[in-house]
Amino acid sequence: MALPLPSGLVPAEVAFLCEMEMITIVPRQRLESIPMLSGNTPALRPPRRADLPLWLALLLKKQRRANIVPPPWLLPASLQEIIHIETNVDPQAFSPPPPPPMRSDGRGIARPYAVTTTTTTSSGRGGGGYGNANGRDEDPNTKELILAPPFLPSCTQDAPSGYLPYHWLEIAETLLAHAADDIPNAPEVRALLRDLQEVRAAKMRGSTQHLEGGGGVLNLRGVGAMELAESRGFVLGVVDGVRKLGASIEASRREEELERGDDGGDESDDDMEL
Amino acid sequence: MHGDLGNKLVQQAKRTQNLAHLPPYQTELVRAVTREVRDLDKDVAALLEPFQGSFHPTDDQAVACTLLVNHLSMRRNKRCLLAYHHTRTDKLEKLVWKGYDVVDLAGQQVGDGSVNAGGASNVANGDGSMNNLSPQEEDYVRQYSDLLAAYKGQWTDIDLTGSLEPPRDLFIDVRVLKDAGEIQTEYGQFYVRQGDVERLIAQGYLQKLS
Amino acid sequence: MSYYDIDAILTDAEKVPCKFELDVPELGYLDNNPAQPLKSGTTIGLPLWLAELLALANRVPSTADEDAKSFVSLNLPPALSNEVMSALKADPRAVPLRDQSHNFYGLGTRMLDLFEEKEICAVLRRTFVTRAADIALHAGKAGATDDMGVGAGEEFLRGLEEWERKLFKKAHDGAKGTKEWMEGVKKH
Repeated sequence: MALPLPSGLVPAEVAFLCEMEMITIVPRQRLESIPMLSGNTPALRPPRRADLPLWLALLLKKQRRANIVPPPWLLPASLQEIIHIETNVDPQAFSPPPPPPMRSDGRGIARPYAVTTTTTTSSGRGGGGYGNANGRDEDPNTKELILAPPFLPSCTQDAPSGYLPYHWLEIAETLLAHAADDIPNAPEVRALLRDLQEVRAAKMRGSTQHLEGGGGVLNLRGVGAMELAESRGFVLGVVDGVRKLGASIEASRREEELERGDDGGDESDDDMEL
Repeated sequence: MHGDLGNKLVQQAKRTQNLAHLPPYQTELVRAVTREVRDLDKDVAALLEPFQGSFHPTDDQAVACTLLVNHLSMRRNKRCLLAYHHTRTDKLEKLVWKGYDVVDLAGQQVGDGSVNAGGASNVANGDGSMNNLSPQEEDYVRQYSDLLAAYKGQWTDIDLTGSLEPPRDLFIDVRVLKDAGEIQTEYGQFYVRQGDVERLIAQGYLQKLS
Repeated sequence: MSYYDIDAILTDAEKVPCKFELDVPELGYLDNNPAQPLKSGTTIGLPLWLAELLALANRVPSTADEDAKSFVSLNLPPALSNEVMSALKADPRAVPLRDQSHNFYGLGTRMLDLFEEKEICAVLRRTFVTRAADIALHAGKAGATDDMGVGAGEEFLRGLEEWERKLFKKAHDGAKGTKEWMEGVKKH
């Protein structure tokens, strides 16, 4: 029997995968390194911060053995900035995803965040002020970068503020549900998230309107995993419908083109004979 | 006109797609559609009879047109019949994957534990004593269940018909709804590993507490 | 499109006007008059499964100078008439498409395969895309409030033809999945 699920990941699966995102914690107890399939976790020594996968961070939080450091983009000022971009700067598009992370090479030059970087980070990174200095456009020397969203550590304390990462909605909701006391001004964050969600949902609903005149779907750069899971069925349904409605015209257009092409070919053959 | 009954069958199939259970098999309608096909076939034979096997469409276009209409009507009825049955077997396969067996699906009382553990009797289809399956469909379910059991039997560590929802936690709390006898899992009786008790939850013995 | 596709079979049952090009004594029943022969020139609505092949089947010309003709000539169904097209051009959202045909777009694509009607194609595309945005809005609301097919949701669904209902369900299921996860995350 065919799998009874729609194509692509469903919201519950997206949320499950999101639990592998790395997040920063402040341990309240010592914990030795745990060997896992994905690698060893760092040994926890209070009060030194460490990055752990979300599922483990949540478990320690529930057992009151750690506090969670919310990613910088989840703070009220950052969310306000993103809402400003979504509504005023470019009301047609989604706000851009985080830029590829850079780090200082110790000589004042920013370098791409290389693959060798593991979960222990924060050191040698120029005080976290990277990213903005390079502007929002991609730096040309980042093309060798192997890490790309959604595989960037974009929810740790070193993540840039002002950009929504791929798993923004799931991370935000999970942290608000289980670590609200670790988030400064949680009620405001919650309200800002609702606004953000609404603005972006409206854009998603309107994303297919240009299909009528032969245009494409709205650029989906910057859209989060949960938003994609929610809207995938609808957007693909509209695209497929438009394709079917235009299929016969498209077929006759191609035929005409082919005929024209053949005629051209014949003429040139004649020319050759002359 | 011809094809109207077939259309009714397909409308039934359309409804079936959107239902959780399987509505009763339309024995009468299926019989009527097959009868229509036989009648059409007789008409064709009668139309061709005077020609003694030497019919030329060019000579008698009205007959040619009638023959085409009859042929298309038969073809249409065949498609309706096949699609109706196909929709139902699709649905039956889905229900078997969900853990129903022929006894549940035929709407009969579930016997005591002798039936293999697949019986989700608490959610059996609405109208209890009615048998919604044709005898052929009962047979189909029986054989399909055997096939699925044989297929599943190849893996002992993984339940192919288990839940597709990603787990939120490895362990869950459960409440016992029905006496299921003594069941001891590796970890205890009330705080258990979700994978160990998924089957019992599906069968209605346990309820998961959130 | 599969042979067993229920929606395709139902679309095949949509009727289109056919004008018979010859007398057929045996087919009077198609015009609800079995005792009489079906006269050449009679127009009746026939389902697509019958109409299309009757129109495409070439009968051999009876005399040498006659062109090859088919048994019937097809016309566009009322659902794709000029009046409906004008109404859709004026406001795609104001027309209850389901009243025109349960399989409005399905019928449309079938007719566009037979007739080259660039204008109709453009109107259908615009109608579909414009109404889709509305469908997303309603389905999103219905999915977030668990209001499928009751109250305002039901009223809205009534005007949607089959393609649109499928689209509604997809948008609804997406919104519902997200909402269910968001509620679950709080409990747990």
